[in-house]
Amino acid sequence: MGEITGDFVARLASVWHRLIIPKGDEETLAEMLAPMDAAGERVARRVGFDMEPSDFDATLLDLARRRDD
Amino acid sequence: MSEEIEFLDACDTASRIAAKDISSVEVTEAAIRRAEQLQPVLNAFISLEAEAALDAARAVDNRIANGEPVGSLAGVPLAHKDMYYREGKVTTCGSKIRKDFVADHTATVLRRLEGAGALYLGGLNMSEFAVGPIGNNVHYGDCRNPWNTAHAPGGSSSGSGASVAARIVYGALGSDTGGSIRIPSAMSGVVGLKPTQTRVSRNGLMPLSFSFDCGGPLTRTVRDASRIFDVIAGHDPKDPTSSQRPLELCDVACEQTVEGLKIGIPTTYYFEDVDAPVSHLVDEACKVFRNLGAELVEAEVPDHEEMNLIWASALSAEAATIHRKWLIERPEDYGGMVRRRIEFGLYQPATRYLEALTLRDGFLRDYCAKAFRDCDLLLTPTMPITAPRLSDVDVGDSEEMPALVLRISKNTRPISYLGLPALSVPCGFTSGGLPTAFQLIGRPFDEARLCRAGHVYQNATDWHVKVPEIAA
Repeated sequence: MGEITGDFVARLASVWHRLIIPKGDEETLAEMLAPMDAAGERVARRVGFDMEPSDFDATLLDLARRRDD
Repeated sequence: MSEEIEFLDACDTASRIAAKDISSVEVTEAAIRRAEQLQPVLNAFISLEAEAALDAARAVDNRIANGEPVGSLAGVPLAHKDMYYREGKVTTCGSKIRKDFVADHTATVLRRLEGAGALYLGGLNMSEFAVGPIGNNVHYGDCRNPWNTAHAPGGSSSGSGASVAARIVYGALGSDTGGSIRIPSAMSGVVGLKPTQTRVSRNGLMPLSFSFDCGGPLTRTVRDASRIFDVIAGHDPKDPTSSQRPLELCDVACEQTVEGLKIGIPTTYYFEDVDAPVSHLVDEACKVFRNLGAELVEAEVPDHEEMNLIWASALSAEAATIHRKWLIERPEDYGGMVRRRIEFGLYQPATRYLEALTLRDGFLRDYCAKAFRDCDLLLTPTMPITAPRLSDVDVGDSEEMPALVLRISKNTRPISYLGLPALSVPCGFTSGGLPTAFQLIGRPFDEARLCRAGHVYQNATDWHVKVPEIAA
């Protein structure tokens, strides 16, 4: 598997966003991204077929209702 | 007389104005005087609207003199983080990019406060675009901590914490996406309430991250926070994401005791890597609760590492979406660190972003099932450290900065991801004279219980009535 490197980030910036990153920033950005990517990869398998982001709002209400009960 | 006025809390001030013991004009003149005197020292305001506030104060006094009914905050001067829109007025968001931005509508929460009779004294300093827990700002100058002006006030609602702590205004709205109400509250020694996600309308609030942004009050006392929360919370048709769940009034909850309340002390994460003086003062707060009849129990909490990382991933993706045009066209108009902290969201895959939001539901269920299994609420340090020196954090691009930012927001970030309500309450001072605070964390929509516990604590202690030397 490839790694998130400064070169990779600079290429994403240029291709996806038509953005030239200030010199030196690409390495810092890569260092910020790498642990998030790793964590995202670890938890991604928990996503179920029927799940969606709006479940969160329903859960807030459901947990509050259970407390009321 | 004016000295006495300045040290009341918002609730007492409102009562005395309504009873005609004091006038709103007197109170407002005193607030303006202090704002002007302390501005060169604290830099808490971005704009001060003295004349408009005095006009509004006169109107309140006239209504009271005529025997007309007034709201629960009538005549009380407030000021707000400069990111709440007001129709026809400039809202800078602490940025160079929006320094001339004129809003075309007024934030719902400001309309509600106005409806309750509160006065608007001005726009408060903040971290640029609400990014960063320090409270420094390269465009408008650093806001300073009233307890020691060499130290940071905390951010991003820096002016909100500083102006309330310095007894300039009686309360201020801030916003919290990862700790930006609770951190300046803790660093500046005031109360801060981050409501449940969706409890308070975000209409007219500058967005940073629409999934995590949360407006709420910074105040002198818990009952002030309760009163302001009761005014601003509740469904708003202009913010369809705001909850329709009926509001449980916090002001009323403050009248109850904590006897029999079960307070959970997390056995992992929140007390790790905490500076000794902070840990000691939070332990003392626990003893106060025990003496008041609360039961303190150990609480297990799930692992936070993944939550924190995927929260950052989702937040940055949303922030980068909002800022993308400016990141490309005007990168030089951002502070360096702010630009980078927003920019890395451009490089998150859409699937990663949506996974972070999709999994939020499961993380919330797991957290509540485990953490609140044997207790009603959790108590933790709000921050593991006290306010750092500005000279130590004014390092812009240094390698130490990301680590410091993560440490400051360690105990607040996960609660933002989970969308839970949290209340920061001052609980003493280190030997160096810097404030420390504990954080109460509740189940969804349980703000009333947090306020009840915080208010009872303040009734038994006097940390909240201590004022910084520059304000005395």
